[in-house]
Amino acid sequence: MRREYILRQGRRSLAVLPVLYPKEILTALDVLAVEMWGPPGPPRGDAAGRLQTYVCAVVRNALAFLASGHADAVDGLLVPHTCDSLQGLATLLADFGGWRKPVVVFQHARGEDRPSARAFAEAELRALASSLERIFQRRLDPDRLAWALRLHAEIDACRATLLDGRARLDLDDAALYALLRRGEWLWPEEHLAELRAAAARLSPAPASPGIPILVTGYVPEPAGLLSALNRAGAYVAADDYAAVGRRLAPAPPPGRADPWAALLDRYLAFPPCPTRGSDQGARMRRLEALLDRSGARGVLVHVQKFCEPELFDVPAIRRTFAARGVPVVVVEGELERDLSAQAETRVEAFVEMLRSGARAA
Amino acid sequence: MILRRLQYELAGRVAGPFLLRLEAWRRARARRGRAHRPSPFAPPLECTRKLKELMSLHYLRGRYADGAVPVAWVTSGFPVEILRPLGFHAVYPENHAAMCGVQRLVPELSDAVEREGYSRDLCSYARTDLGCAATGKTPAGRLPRPDLLACCTNICQTVLYWYRALAARFQVPLVLVDTPFVYGQSTPHADRYVRDQLEEFVRVAERVSGRRADPAELVEVARLSREGARLWGECLATSRARPAPWAGFDGFFHMAPIVALRGSEACNAYYRVLLDELEDRVRRGVGGVREERHRLLWDNLPVWFAVRELSTLLAERGFNFVCTSYTNAWAEAGMQVDPSEPLASAARAYTHVILNQDLRNRLGILRRLASDYGCDGAVLHSDRSCKPYSIGQVDLKDRLARELGIRVLLLEADHSDPRAWAAEPAENRLTAFMEAFA
Ligand code: SF4
Ligand code: SF4
Repeated sequence: MRREYILRQGRRSLAVLPVLYPKEILTALDVLAVEMWGPPGPPRGDAAGRLQTYVCAVVRNALAFLASGHADAVDGLLVPHTCDSLQGLATLLADFGGWRKPVVVFQHARGEDRPSARAFAEAELRALASSLERIFQRRLDPDRLAWALRLHAEIDACRATLLDGRARLDLDDAALYALLRRGEWLWPEEHLAELRAAAARLSPAPASPGIPILVTGYVPEPAGLLSALNRAGAYVAADDYAAVGRRLAPAPPPGRADPWAALLDRYLAFPPCPTRGSDQGARMRRLEALLDRSGARGVLVHVQKFCEPELFDVPAIRRTFAARGVPVVVVEGELERDLSAQAETRVEAFVEMLRSGARAA
Repeated sequence: MILRRLQYELAGRVAGPFLLRLEAWRRARARRGRAHRPSPFAPPLECTRKLKELMSLHYLRGRYADGAVPVAWVTSGFPVEILRPLGFHAVYPENHAAMCGVQRLVPELSDAVEREGYSRDLCSYARTDLGCAATGKTPAGRLPRPDLLACCTNICQTVLYWYRALAARFQVPLVLVDTPFVYGQSTPHADRYVRDQLEEFVRVAERVSGRRADPAELVEVARLSREGARLWGECLATSRARPAPWAGFDGFFHMAPIVALRGSEACNAYYRVLLDELEDRVRRGVGGVREERHRLLWDNLPVWFAVRELSTLLAERGFNFVCTSYTNAWAEAGMQVDPSEPLASAARAYTHVILNQDLRNRLGILRRLASDYGCDGAVLHSDRSCKPYSIGQVDLKDRLARELGIRVLLLEADHSDPRAWAAEPAENRLTAFMEAFA
């Protein structure tokens, strides 16, 4: 389906690996970004065997998918420097084959906002733009960049409205996330139109979809997890998935005339994420704020096996919420297509515990 | 403070040497009269005793370092040269974790943090060190509490998460030197970024130590560091001789000074003595493995808890690891430090370490080592705990075999967690690998 969509678009396109990247630059260059979070399910091709089984499924599946020609509709690959494994994949593909089209990397300035990091981030944004200009043989027009920034700010605002207004939506979680995740490959203006249509259906009075939960982790895959939550009588009241909530930038401050400065501000303002080496304390404070704002009664941590950036934060999440008596459950996955029976049972038991009013020990 | 400083100095100069001599005397007495078992190895290097002394003294002093001098915990790839003129005692958690690995303490230490929610899929060095910090258990007696955590991402991103956890536990400043990964050539803005961070780091380290960095001292430490790397490289290069004068895995232990004492005269003095001994063995035709018939290359970290078993299994059949990409890395990086521009050259040197460069570069290094050292085979340790070192090895294996016409084995293990190690299947695989050389 995505392949046909890409071909129908008639636009140049780029496959993009997780997590964060300056999509605004691609949009401004009229390049379609097609994100690859895996894809889920078993690896589609033998090339997964080029990586050891202790590498996460996102990277193994991506290698299999790319090397077996499934991504032939796009014109190149963008690999943000998210983790050691993706860094390894970028050099593996570029140096040892499996992908013949251009590979572009984007490196994050890790850690806190320091003068050195700011300067590097700005230079890296410009370097990415130059690489893409070269590949696609077009100039990046500052006015187009300003337009793309406005467009993506509006998309983020709309997505935030839908997530915050989940209790007033006539969609279940699986349907809401399917809508939000279409933004991973739709042309942004089309995505915005769909988001606006959904936002128009927000009812003024909150329905009662069940027990509110804060979800954090990597990517809502398999979507069966969300359905299991709903079936058990809970719903996602607040989101901190790397793929979703952590990619919603706050509204830009007014008055930034220079689009490059605005792009840098936006890039640095995304919520804290371990894949960019953000401060762990800042992430915990944000999670607590999400919990307080949404009234969530429990925290579901949904991580990928072998994902060091996410797994390192799990103890801190446990500690943070144990101190407040908020129950936490950790579900680990490997991009399975369907939720395992064991995971479903854990989700049910967790929601049952919340229903009975239990607090964390 | 004065008393603490006195203890620190005495531990290094008087008590430590005395205790170590006593220990050596006890061991020698225990050995006396014991029947010698036939060994496939030459007698141990004389230097091994000196190495033990040097490292034991370092750890012994460390016990009294906090409160006496500023203490920094640093990642192995951190430009430690900057800390030395400021009087820091540097602790290397990776080196310490390796020590725990050798002594098979990792399961117990890891269990302690797995109970806190750390996954067993995380790097075993990190789990070990966090386990030590949580329980206070260490084979070194005691590790000094850090005043500063210094983390460089040139080996992996794992260290950043690990050091953040340490910073939360100890409530001390964490300084990050983020080194963008090098695909082909480093970019000018990446070079500038690393250099700027080193300058930012100097200011923090000065604040923590309460001292100003003296440029002349920095130049001197950079000189020592470069000299140390050169000496270490020469020690390794003696294995180009046939037979190689030491068993390859010995290098994993003798690299401790270049990791933990880099930039100090003690480190260099040690390598001068080691080099003399190795050159002497080369002159006399003494091999580290008594009957060296095949020469192998090792890639990745060692399997610390099984070094002895593995090297014996191999040496009994005349196989010796004459070079490793891991020990070699410490010679290559340090050689790029230039005393005439210590900060800028450190930024370059530490950005261009093997793990921070692409696989094409890695293949080049392996190819060069295999041919310079006359290897007829290679073992690539696929290290479950270390993704940056292990990703790409399946392709590296095929390419080395194809391009150099040598036999290559991919061996699954973990550098320090024995729970991820299946001894029997591994030995069977190695045996089958060796039989193919017949
Ligand atoms: S799941 Fe984790 S380890 Fe895998 S690509 Fe994503 S960030 Fe990297
Ligand atoms: S063993 Fe590998 S993952 Fe662990 S700290 Fe060292 S380089 Fe990083």
